Amino acid sequence: MILISELNHTFKIGKKGQEKDIPVLRNVNLDVAKGEIVAILGKSGSGKSTLLNLLAGFMTPESGSIQVNGEELVGKTETEKANFRLQNYGFIFQSFQLMPGLTAFENIELPLKLQGVGKQQRMIRVKELLQQVGLTDVSDHYPNELSGGQQQRVSIARALIGRPSILLADEPTGSLDSETEQEILQLIQLLNHHYGITFVIITHDEEVARTAHRQYRMHDGAIQEEMHYVS
Amino acid sequence: MLAKDQREFISQHMKRNKLRVFMTILAAAMGCAFLIILASVGFGLHKTIQDEVLSNRIVTEIELAGKEGADERVTPEEVDAIRKMEHVKTVVERVMVPGSATVKLGEKEGYGELVYTDLAAEQLANLALDSGKMPASSEEVIVGYQFANSFLTEEQYKEIEAADDYLAKETELAQAIRDKLVGQTITVDVVDYETNEVRATQTYTISGIAKKPGRDWYYDQKIYADTSKSSEVLAAFDIEAPDRSITVHATDFQYVEDLTNSLKDQGFYVYSVTEELGEMNMLFTAIQIGLVIVGTVAVLIASIGIFNTMTMAVTERTREIGIMKAIGAPPSLIQRLFLLESTLIGLIGTVIAVAVSYALSFVVNIVVPIIVFGSINEEAPTDMTITVSYIPWQLVLIAAVISVGVAVLSGWRPARKATSIDVIQALKEF
Ligand SMILES: Nc1ncnc2c1ncn2[C@@H]1O[C@H](COP(=O)(O)OP(=O)(O)O)[C@@H](O)[C@H]1O
Ligand SMILES: [Mg+2]
Repeated sequence: MILISELNHTFKIGKKGQEKDIPVLRNVNLDVAKGEIVAILGKSGSGKSTLLNLLAGFMTPESGSIQVNGEELVGKTETEKANFRLQNYGFIFQSFQLMPGLTAFENIELPLKLQGVGKQQRMIRVKELLQQVGLTDVSDHYPNELSGGQQQRVSIARALIGRPSILLADEPTGSLDSETEQEILQLIQLLNHHYGITFVIITHDEEVARTAHRQYRMHDGAIQEEMHYVS
Repeated sequence: MLAKDQREFISQHMKRNKLRVFMTILAAAMGCAFLIILASVGFGLHKTIQDEVLSNRIVTEIELAGKEGADERVTPEEVDAIRKMEHVKTVVERVMVPGSATVKLGEKEGYGELVYTDLAAEQLANLALDSGKMPASSEEVIVGYQFANSFLTEEQYKEIEAADDYLAKETELAQAIRDKLVGQTITVDVVDYETNEVRATQTYTISGIAKKPGRDWYYDQKIYADTSKSSEVLAAFDIEAPDRSITVHATDFQYVEDLTNSLKDQGFYVYSVTEELGEMNMLFTAIQIGLVIVGTVAVLIASIGIFNTMTMAVTERTREIGIMKAIGAPPSLIQRLFLLESTLIGLIGTVIAVAVSYALSFVVNIVVPIIVFGSINEEAPTDMTITVSYIPWQLVLIAAVISVGVAVLSGWRPARKATSIDVIQALKEF
């Protein structure tokens, strides 16, 4: 499903002419099978988000290969990557990243609009999903009228609505209290179990990582699979 | 994204910034309206003068003054050839006599302007009858509508001068004479311009009266006689080759220009209304282009507003654009949404501008003549309509293309900027 091999990335900082190289990813290899929940653990600054951003196609790696659903992402144009994301990925962000001017309903609806799905179909699918994530009552609320847990549910629903095969989550529970965190983790497991959706979850929290089938640990840009957890 | 959803998306965005969008539309509308109004004055004056020129003339007429060559005369063969040309309705040839006509109508004495012509051709060209019928022989003539006026007596003139509405009085008294004209016999003395002696005398029966001329101030006092009757007079004057006035009549105004040019190419000296219009049109086109350019500057100033608004919109929505791109909106869609927004601003501005311009133009056309004629204490000539501002559809089209084009161009850079927003940066800021 996902096969990352020999991925390297270096950031350049500073003024032109006197740039400094900051190597962030070194020979990263990672594979994720269909229907798996994989967690990527690591301290802050270890390069987890960079890895996810590369996997998402938000930026281009220095070298290496990223294969997803049989397609090579490295070398695709912006438009191709956008279309790839629209068809294959759902995103869950730590800070939810909901559109402030749109209601919960409209936020969830957005990917369907981008996919060109007609209004009637959209209504049916959004309503159904709202029910599943327990947001029917607040569907016409704007993000600032929702609690953190509700906002994350909206963002999960938005990630799911386009029926992606892979969900990428960067610190999905980072902004939530432990009780809400448990709810969200349960929801992730439920979705994985019911729909066979593949999850790549980035976290610095061992507790969160434990819900995954497998864990990778990053340290200073290098990655290694953890063998001792039993889920 | 479906077109319908794109529209909804844009209108949602515009509603969130009502005041700013409104001000931008206002600026765009003012720029475009300024352009239209300014240029419309150029078009209005053009129209006024053009109408004036056209209404004073038989516009399908081309005067033939002569032909390149030794004696500069047009031969009868050449006239026949012209008559056979395409889009030529007829050619009217009038023989000129160097004398004036004193006319006796029973006891009364008057005058007329003798014209020897081909009455069939005249009729085909534009001679229409008010009453009576066309001459059946060369002994009969048609007289002009105001021919009767020359027979008003001294007493009748006193009566006219005494009347409140002397024009109406004159018309009334002349009508009485005119009513009895058809069928009467007139004796025409042809008087030499120079020596004032009578060179020839001819007698005619009036068979019909020509229609009243279109312009009030023009008096038609002609006596239209057959060309064959001219030989006797010409002999008396000892003229072998008389001056002729030759006019070519086109079947329609649209052919006048082509006909004029083709006659010119054949070496004829010609004059038609298109000659005059041609020079005038060129001048006015130059004026109109100048006004459109000045107006465009106003549109360009308004475009700064659109540029500003769109740039701010992009900056404000950086995060939203980041989210859109993250979940899979292609750069082309982002660009299109912003371009559509600036285009819509330009379009709404243009529609408002066109409506306002038409309204303003309407008001100006009523108010300005009142001010002008009111202030110089003159009454507006009743038969002259003054168009101060005229908005032809071409002007609307030009203005719309310019303002919408400028709106699109000024929205271009902001839209490009939106597509180049970095997803990671945009999402990190919050
Ligand atoms: N745009 C950037 N420019 C320069 N350095 C960056 C940039 N983004 C991240 N980094 C650096 O890369 C390293 C890894 O960052 P990140 O992937 O965000 O780590 P994590 O998500 O594990 O906390 C950090 O040292 C960070 O300072
Ligand atoms: Mg991170």
